[in-house]
Amino acid sequence: MILFLTALAILIVAYITAISAKDLIRLLISLELMFASVFLAIVPLFALKPSTAYMVAILTIFTSSCELLILITAIILLDRIKRSIAIEAVSVGGERLD
Amino acid sequence: MNYELAILSAVSIFAVLTALGVLLSKDNFYSALYMATTMLLVAAIYALYNLQPVVVLLVLVFVGAVSIVTVALAATYRTAPARKVNIFWSIPAIIIFAIAYLSYFSLDELNVSTEFSSVPTDYFNAIVILFSLIAIVAIAAVKIARRVEL
Repeated sequence: MILFLTALAILIVAYITAISAKDLIRLLISLELMFASVFLAIVPLFALKPSTAYMVAILTIFTSSCELLILITAIILLDRIKRSIAIEAVSVGGERLD
Repeated sequence: MNYELAILSAVSIFAVLTALGVLLSKDNFYSALYMATTMLLVAAIYALYNLQPVVVLLVLVFVGAVSIVTVALAATYRTAPARKVNIFWSIPAIIIFAIAYLSYFSLDELNVSTEFSSVPTDYFNAIVILFSLIAIVAIAAVKIARRVEL
């Protein structure tokens, strides 16, 4: 129960950080926090199926590493092209409210 | 409440507090440091359950690589003026490091679980695919970075 509550609290904080982020660095930090929350959420799985849980943990670590790699590339490219890493500088992608 | 539950509660509360530090800090560099601390506390929760292989993975990859790269990136793109850190902050850091060092070497033997010894064979294909995936992602990132015109 404590683990799930902690994971939920960290996830909510990460979501709020992502929503209120003004630059891509803070967005990256919030995404890593979300992964930390995922790691906490899979702790109980180790009591049921340790081998599967270990594989899920490895999968999560690899996903996190890939996400870091891609986001760093995106940040560097955005800085090169727009000379800024602000969220407002991102002009493509996402949804538009009409 | 037994002491294990008390320690788990304390570590969990600290993890949430450091996560809040990420949100409340205005400087990305300090946010990244708070994030690294949160990850370290998540690894500490795994250590409380004696899941040592996962602790090693988390500390080496998640804290050691991902967090440090994020901290370095935040420090590189730092916009806020740097604060002068008092050199006396190194004293508690040295004390904590000394306690951790002595605690580690006072252990007679490490009871590392062999529960996960079958993982590399059971999930061999998955591990190979993951390694291939990260290699492809790395190559793709380099290719994209080179293709973009300045």
